[in-house]
Amino acid sequence: MNVSSNAMTAIKKFSLAAFSLLMVLFSASDADAQCRTFTKKRCLPQLEDYVQNDNYNTAVLIPGDEAELELTFFGDRAYRLLVCGHPVLGDLTFQVLDSRGNGIYDSTDKESNHFDFRVANTQQMTVRVQVPSSDAVIEHEGCVSIMVGSKG
Amino acid sequence: MRRVYDRILPGRNASVLLALPLLFLFSCGEAPTSSSGGADEAPQVEMDAEGMMPARRQKAFKQIFHAVPSPIETALLLERSGIRFDAEALNPIDKAMGYTTTEAQAVNLGIYAGDLSYSVIFNQNQQSVDYLNTCRRLCDGLGVGDIIDADLIARADNNRDVRDSLVHIVTETFYELNARFRENGMEEVSGLMAAGGWIEGLYLGTRNLSSSTEDLKLRIAEQKMTLDNLLGLVDSYPPTEALTKMKQVLTSVEAAYANVTVTENEAAATAAEDGTVVISGGPSVQYEDAALEEIAASVAKIRNLYAQ
Repeated sequence: MNVSSNAMTAIKKFSLAAFSLLMVLFSASDADAQCRTFTKKRCLPQLEDYVQNDNYNTAVLIPGDEAELELTFFGDRAYRLLVCGHPVLGDLTFQVLDSRGNGIYDSTDKESNHFDFRVANTQQMTVRVQVPSSDAVIEHEGCVSIMVGSKG
Repeated sequence: MRRVYDRILPGRNASVLLALPLLFLFSCGEAPTSSSGGADEAPQVEMDAEGMMPARRQKAFKQIFHAVPSPIETALLLERSGIRFDAEALNPIDKAMGYTTTEAQAVNLGIYAGDLSYSVIFNQNQQSVDYLNTCRRLCDGLGVGDIIDADLIARADNNRDVRDSLVHIVTETFYELNARFRENGMEEVSGLMAAGGWIEGLYLGTRNLSSSTEDLKLRIAEQKMTLDNLLGLVDSYPPTEALTKMKQVLTSVEAAYANVTVTENEAAATAAEDGTVVISGGPSVQYEDAALEEIAASVAKIRNLYAQ
C-alpha cells in the first residue's frame, strides 16, 4: 500500500514536471505569436507620434545574435528608429550605416533604445543590431523588434 | 504499477502518453531553473508569457530583414509632392470578387492597400472605408479575415473624418497582417502583398507625369532604391512560382530604372540648431523625363497584369 502510494506520488510529480515542460515547448512553437504580442504592447507605444512602417521586422534571438535591417529613408522626413528587445537579452546595441557601410550612428554607451533623425536626401541605410553575449549556463531567447516610424 | 498508470491515465495508450514528455525532456537539454521568487516573481511570469523563453538553439546567427515603405508612407510622399487625387487611377473595388487564386488575392491586397492609403491621405473618407472593406474581402480569401473584422470596419467608419485615426488604423492593420503571415508561414503572401503595395504606389505616382512637380519626379526616381529593397525582400523568401514570376516582372521595372543614376556619396550625421540629428550627404539621383516615362509605362504594364 505504502509502495503504491509513493509510486503514485512520484508519477504525479513526474507528470506535472513533464506537463510543465511540454507547455514550455508548445509555447516555443508559438514564439512568433508571443513576439507579436510583445511588440504590440511594449514596443509600438514607444514610437509615440511617429507613423509606423507596417513591416514586421521582429525575430526571436539569442545572446550573440545579430540582426540587420535594410531600408530606404526619404529626404525631408523625420524618423524614429527603435530597437526594442526583451529585457532578458540585456542591453542591445545598434549602429546605423550608410550605403557604403560607413557608420553614421552607434548606440553603444547611449542609454536610449531609439534614434531620432531626419535625412536631407533619400538614402538606403542599414541598421545593425547586436544581442550581447552571455555566459549564463542557461541562455534565454527573446523577441527583438526593429521598428521604424516617420512623420513630418 | 500498471494499475496506478491506469488510474492516472486510463486507456490503452497511457504509457505512450507518459513517454512523450520524457522524449521531449531528453531531446531538449536542461530544463530552466525556477525563478528566485519574491518581489520579482510576478513580472517574470508575465515576461515568460510574452517574448522570452529558454533558448532552443545554441549557435548565434544573423537575421536579415528587408523592408519597403508602407503604402501609407508612399501616399504621404505623393501628397507632399503636390500630386492631385485621381479616383480614376484606383483599382475598382468590384474587381475584388474576381481574384480567386492566392497569388491574385495577395498581390491585389497590396494593390488595394495602396488605394486605401491613397484615399486616406487624400481625405476620401467614404472611399477609404470602401477600400478597407475590399481588403477585408481579400483577407477572408487568404484565411486572415479576422484581422479586418466588423469592429475594425466600424472603428474606421466612426473615424472616417479623422485622418490621423484612419492612418493609425491602416498601419496597425497591415502590421498585424504582416505579423500573422509570418506566424502562419505565409511568406509568399507577405512578399506578394508588399510587392503589390509598392507597384500601386508607383503606379499612382506616375499617372500624370506631364503635370508633375519636380519634387514628385525626384520621388519617382528615388524609388530605384526602394525597388532594390523590394527585390531583396522577395529574394529573402523561399522561392515559389508566384514569387519567381513577381521577381521577373519587377526586373522589367528595374530595367526601366537603368536610366536613373544613383551616385553614392558619404553620409554624415550632424546636429541641427533645434537638437535634431540630420543625416546629410548620401546619394544624389540623376534622371531625364524620358526615363520616368519609361518607368511609368513599365509599372502600368505590370500593375494591369495583376489587377486585370
